[in-house]
Amino acid sequence: MADETFLSDDLLRQLMSVGEVDLLVGILAHRSANTVRRAAHYVEKSLQQNFVRQRVAIISVDGGAVDDSGFDERSGDGEPGNNSSSKGMTSLRTIHRVSAAFNGAPSPGLALRTILSASDLLRARACAVVSPATSSTSPEWVANLLRPAFRDSFDFVAPLYSRHKFQGLLARNLLYPMTRALFGRRIRELYSDEWAFSNRLGNFCQNEDVWHEEPVRSRPEAWMGISALTSDFRCCQVYLGEKPPPPDGAGPDLVEVLRQTVGSLFWLLETNQQSWLERKGSDALPTFGPDHAVTAEPQELNRARMFEMFQTGVKELEPILESILSPQTLESIQGIATLDQHAFRFPAELWVTMLYEFAASYHHSVINRDHLVQALVPLYRGKIYSFLAEYADTSATEMEAVSENLCLEFERQKPYLMEKWKAGVEVKS
Amino acid sequence: MRVTIVQGLEQAYYNLVHMIAEFLPRLVVMLVIILVGLLAAYLLGHVVRAVLRLTKLDRVSEDAGASRVLRMADLPSMTELLSRSIFWITWLGFILIGVSVLGVAGLQEQISRLFRFLPEVFIAMVILFLGLVLANFLSRAVLLASVNAGVRSPKIWSWSIRFVIWILAISMALDELGLARQTVLAAFSIVFGASMLGLAIAFGLGGQDLARRALERYLGNTTKEKYKEPQPL
Amino acid sequence: MALQEDNLWYKDAVIYQLHVRTFCDSNGDGIGDFVGMTQRLDYLQELGTNTIWLLPFYPSPLRDDGYDIADYTTVHPSYGTLDDFKAFLTAAHNRGLRVIIEMVMNHTSDQHPWFQEARSSRDNPKRDWYVWSDTDAKYRGVRIIFIDTELSNWTWDPVSKSYYWHRFFSHQPDLNFDNPDVFEAMWEIMRFWLDMGVDGFRLDAVPYLVEREGTSCENLPETHAVIKEVRKRLDQFYPGRMLLAEANQWPADVRAYFGDGDEFHTAFHFPLMPRMFMAVKLEDRKPIIEILDQTPPIPANCQWCIFLRNHDELTLEMVTDVERDYMYDEYATDKTMRINLGIRRRLAPMMENDRRRIELLNGLLMSMPGTPIVYYGDEIGMGDNIYLGDRNGVRTPMQWNGGTNAGFSFADPERLYSPLISNSVYGYQVVNVDSQRRFSHSLLSWMKALIKTRNSYRVFSRGTMEFLRPSNHRVLAYIRELGNEKILVVNNLSSSAQAVELDVQRYKGYIPIEMFGRNLFPRFGDLPYLLTLGPYQFYWFRLRRI
Repeated sequence: MADETFLSDDLLRQLMSVGEVDLLVGILAHRSANTVRRAAHYVEKSLQQNFVRQRVAIISVDGGAVDDSGFDERSGDGEPGNNSSSKGMTSLRTIHRVSAAFNGAPSPGLALRTILSASDLLRARACAVVSPATSSTSPEWVANLLRPAFRDSFDFVAPLYSRHKFQGLLARNLLYPMTRALFGRRIRELYSDEWAFSNRLGNFCQNEDVWHEEPVRSRPEAWMGISALTSDFRCCQVYLGEKPPPPDGAGPDLVEVLRQTVGSLFWLLETNQQSWLERKGSDALPTFGPDHAVTAEPQELNRARMFEMFQTGVKELEPILESILSPQTLESIQGIATLDQHAFRFPAELWVTMLYEFAASYHHSVINRDHLVQALVPLYRGKIYSFLAEYADTSATEMEAVSENLCLEFERQKPYLMEKWKAGVEVKS
Repeated sequence: MRVTIVQGLEQAYYNLVHMIAEFLPRLVVMLVIILVGLLAAYLLGHVVRAVLRLTKLDRVSEDAGASRVLRMADLPSMTELLSRSIFWITWLGFILIGVSVLGVAGLQEQISRLFRFLPEVFIAMVILFLGLVLANFLSRAVLLASVNAGVRSPKIWSWSIRFVIWILAISMALDELGLARQTVLAAFSIVFGASMLGLAIAFGLGGQDLARRALERYLGNTTKEKYKEPQPL
Repeated sequence: MALQEDNLWYKDAVIYQLHVRTFCDSNGDGIGDFVGMTQRLDYLQELGTNTIWLLPFYPSPLRDDGYDIADYTTVHPSYGTLDDFKAFLTAAHNRGLRVIIEMVMNHTSDQHPWFQEARSSRDNPKRDWYVWSDTDAKYRGVRIIFIDTELSNWTWDPVSKSYYWHRFFSHQPDLNFDNPDVFEAMWEIMRFWLDMGVDGFRLDAVPYLVEREGTSCENLPETHAVIKEVRKRLDQFYPGRMLLAEANQWPADVRAYFGDGDEFHTAFHFPLMPRMFMAVKLEDRKPIIEILDQTPPIPANCQWCIFLRNHDELTLEMVTDVERDYMYDEYATDKTMRINLGIRRRLAPMMENDRRRIELLNGLLMSMPGTPIVYYGDEIGMGDNIYLGDRNGVRTPMQWNGGTNAGFSFADPERLYSPLISNSVYGYQVVNVDSQRRFSHSLLSWMKALIKTRNSYRVFSRGTMEFLRPSNHRVLAYIRELGNEKILVVNNLSSSAQAVELDVQRYKGYIPIEMFGRNLFPRFGDLPYLLTLGPYQFYWFRLRRI
C-alpha cells in the first residue's frame, strides 16, 4: 500500500505550488457536494481571522469527482473585499486552495487519506477536517478545532456539541458509553464530521495499512481517534457549538448508520484487543470549553412504529439472534418484546449485556459480520423506543445523570465482555 | 434318480462348504481389514486433529475468512472438518480394499466404476455445498433487510430466495452427475433458476444496500406509511 | 555629459537620497559639507544614479533634523556657504546629475523671524502668517502625528498669550495658507532656488497646509488649490522642474495630489515599501499584489517614487495593525529598534546582511513601476546604530574607505557629528566604497550593474505592469511593457528553491533573454513556462521575438 501512487498529478502540482504550510483544513466534499462552497467560505474566513500569520491551505476533497471544486475561480491574490485599509483582521498571506477529485468509489476513508497525504507533503503542523453537511458550522469552529492541535500540541482533537437530549441517540446509548468503557477514555463524539489532528498522528495513520478496510473507508475519524487513544497520542475535546440534525432524508438511513458506526466500533475492538482488554475504568480527556451541553425542547416522533419493528425483529430474527446471543439474554429480550407497548422498557443492564454479546460474537465471527450488525438494528430501535418513552419529561441535567449511569453500567460489565471475548469459538448446532 | 439328487445335493453341499470355506476366511480378512482401517482412520484422524490444533489452523482459516464460510453453512471448524474428512477417506479406502478381498465377481468392476464416478460426485457435492452456503447467506441477508425495512412477512422473502437457490444448486448437481438430464424438473429449474439468480444476487450480493433501499422504498411504502425515526447521530 | 532636455526626466530618474552632513567633510569640522560632496559627485555618477535628493541644509535649530527651518534662502553654516552650494549644483549639472532639494511649506521653526515677529504682538503684520487661537478647542479630533512626544496640536505661547497650531513638533508652528501673503512669500523662496538652478522640490508634509473646522485638516480641497497654484507658476516660469509630494497616505488618497496632472509630478508610494519587506518575510506575494491592485492609475505625466529605506524610520502607518505587529516581530524584535510607528533600521541589518535578500529587494525596487530612490549607504550595505537616539542610527557618516574616519573626515573621531559604524560586521573597515570597488562581485559593483541595466531600458521607468499569477504564491512575476519593449520579471520571495509555471501563452513565440548575462532561454510555447529559482533568486528577462 505504501508505494501505491494514488495522488493525481494534478493534485501533486497544486501541492507543489502551495509548498509548506502550518495549517491545513480539509473539506470532505463527498458527504454533500452542493454545500462545499459555503464550507470553503467559512473555512477561509476562519483562517483569515484567526491565523493571520500562519501559512494555511484549504483542500477540498471530492470523492465523487464532481467538477465543481467549491472554490471561486479567482485564487488568493487581490481578493475583493480584502482591503488592507480596513483595520479588520485579515490574513497576511495567501490562503491556498487545493481541490482534489478522485475517481473510483467515493469514501470518507479515501478522502481522508488524500488529506493526510496532502498534509504530509505540505508538512502541515495541524490539520482539521470539516464537513459541509454540518449546517451550523461557523468560522469559530475551524479555529477552535485547530488551536489545540496547533498551539497546545494535542494530536487528536474531537468535537463536542450542544445537542437536544433526543439527538445523537446512537452516540448517547451505544457509541460513547461503549467506547468509554472499553478504551477507557471519554471521547463523546468519536463519530463526527469535524475533527483535527497533528502532523504526528496524521503521519502515523497514513502509514497504517488499513485503508482498504471497510470501517476505515466509511468512518476514518473513529479509527483515527482510537488509533490516537491506543497509541498514546495526546487527545482532547473542544466544544464547538450547537449541532442541528441533518434535514430528514439527508443522511444515510439507520441501518447504514449502524453498519458504519457500530460495525466500525466492533472492528476497532477486534483490531485493538491488546490495548483495551487490560484497561479498567475510564479517564476524562482535557476539554476546552463547556463539556457537552444538552437542551430539551419537545420533539415529535412516531414511536409506535419503532416498537412494532422491534417486536417483529425479535420474532423474525430469532434464528440469527440465537447464534449471536446467549440463551439467557435472548430469552430476556424475547421476554420484554412481549410486553405491552406502554409497559415496555429496555433495561440498561440487558442492553449492555446484549451489546457485549454482539461484540464477542462479532469477534468470533459466528455469522457474517455485516449481518451481525444488521441484526442489531431492531434491538436498537427497541432501546431507543424505551429511551424516548422513559425520558420524555426528563430535564437536561437529569439526562446527564442518566447517560453517566449507562456509562458506568458499561464499565461494570466489561469483565463479562472480556470473558466472552477470550472464550474459544463456540460451535452452535 | 435318488442317487443323482443326493449326489447333486452333496455336490451342492460340497460346493457350499467349499465356498464358505473359501469365503469365510476372506470375510474375516475383510472384516479385519475394515476394523484395522477403522482403527487406523481413527488414529490418523486424531493425529491430524492434534497436528492441526498445534499449527493453529483455525486461526489461519479465521484470518482467511474460511471459517466464516463454514460457519455460515453450519459446518464445524476447519480442523474438525479436515480431521473428519481424513477419517472417512481413510476408512472408506480400507472398506473398499476389504470388499475387493472378497473377490465377489462383478463387485470389483462396480468398485472401479465407483472410483471413476467419484470426480463427478465430488463436483456435485461441491456445487451442493456452495449452493447451501449461498442460500444460507442470501436468505439471511434478505431476511435482515426486510425486517429492518419493516416489510411484512419477511420470512416468505428469505425462504423464496433460499428455495430458488436450492433448486438451482440441486439441478446443477444432478446435471453434473448426468442424472435426470431429461426431466422437466431440471429444465424448469434451470430456466427458473437462471431468471431468479439475477434477482437473488441483486438482493444479496451485488447491491445489498441498494436492494435493501429498493425493498424499503418499493415494499415498505406499500405496507406502511412513512415514519419518522430519530436521527441516530 | 550635460543635462538632457526632457520635461519628463523625473520618470527615468534613479534618485540618490542623502544628507549633506553625512557624505563628506572637506574642512575637518566633523560635519559633511557641500565642498566635500562636490568632490564625491563622481561616485554618484559611477553608481549610475542621475538625481540627487538633498535633505534640508537650511539654517535651523536642528530639532527636527533640519525640517525646522529658520531661514529658507541660505545654507546652514556647518555645510558651507551659498556659493559652495552653487558650485555643487553646477558640478552636478555638469555630470548630468539633477538636484532636488527640500521645501517645507507647512511650517517653520519657531526660531524663524516670521514667527518671532508673529508672536511678538497680536497686532504684528506677520501675526496672521501663523494659525492662532485663544482656545485649544478648535479643530478638535484632528489626529496627533508625533504621538510619542506631543499631547496636542495646540501649544500655548506665553509671549502672545494664545495657542498656536502645529501638526508636528511644538517648535514647528504651522503657516497660515489662508493668508495670501504666506503663499507669495513661499513662492518667492521657491523662485530663489529655481533661479539658482535646482531641478525640483520635495514638498514636506503636504496634506496639512490648510485647516478647516470639522475636518481632519488633511487633504483638504484648499490644500490642493495651493499646490495647483504652485504647479501653475512652475509650469509657466520654470518648465522641466519637478515637484515631489511627501504624503504618507493610502494610494487612493495620494492619487488626489496628482490632480489631473496639474499638481505634483511625483509622489511617494508609502504603503508599498513595508509590503515589500513583508512579502519577503512571509514568503508570499500577496501583500505586494494586494497594494498594487489597490493603487489607482495616475495621469500620464505623473510618476510614483518608490523606495526601500530613507532617513526616517521604516514607517508602518500605512499597514493594518496585524501587519504592523508582524513587521515589529520579524524586523524589530529589539524594542530599541522601534520608534513612533516604525522601525529605525537600515536595509542590510534588516535583511540580516543576507546578500541574496538585499539583492532581491533592490531588484524589486528597480523593476517595479516608479522612480526608485536609493538611500545613501544602502548601495554598499551599511549598517545602523540603534543605540543612537531618534533616527540618527541610520544617519551615520558615509563609509568611503577603511582609513581614518572611514574617509569621511580628517577631524578627530570624537569631533564627528555622529560616531561611525565600527562593529565587526558592518564597520567601515569591512563595509566601505573603496573595498567594494575592488571586486566585481561586491554589492556596490552589483548595484552598479543593476542600475545600469535599469537605465538601459525605458520600459522600467515608463512601461505598464501586469502581474502573472502563477499558482506558486512564493513567486512574484510580472511583465513590464512599453511599446515593443517587454520585460518579464520573476522573483522568488522565499528562502528555498522554487519551481514555477508561468502562463505566458500571450507571449508565445517570444524568446526570453536573461538581462544580466544576456543568455537565451527556451522559447515560450503553448505549455506553461517552467522556471526554477534558487532561494531569493530573481530573473529579469527581455522578451524578444526573433
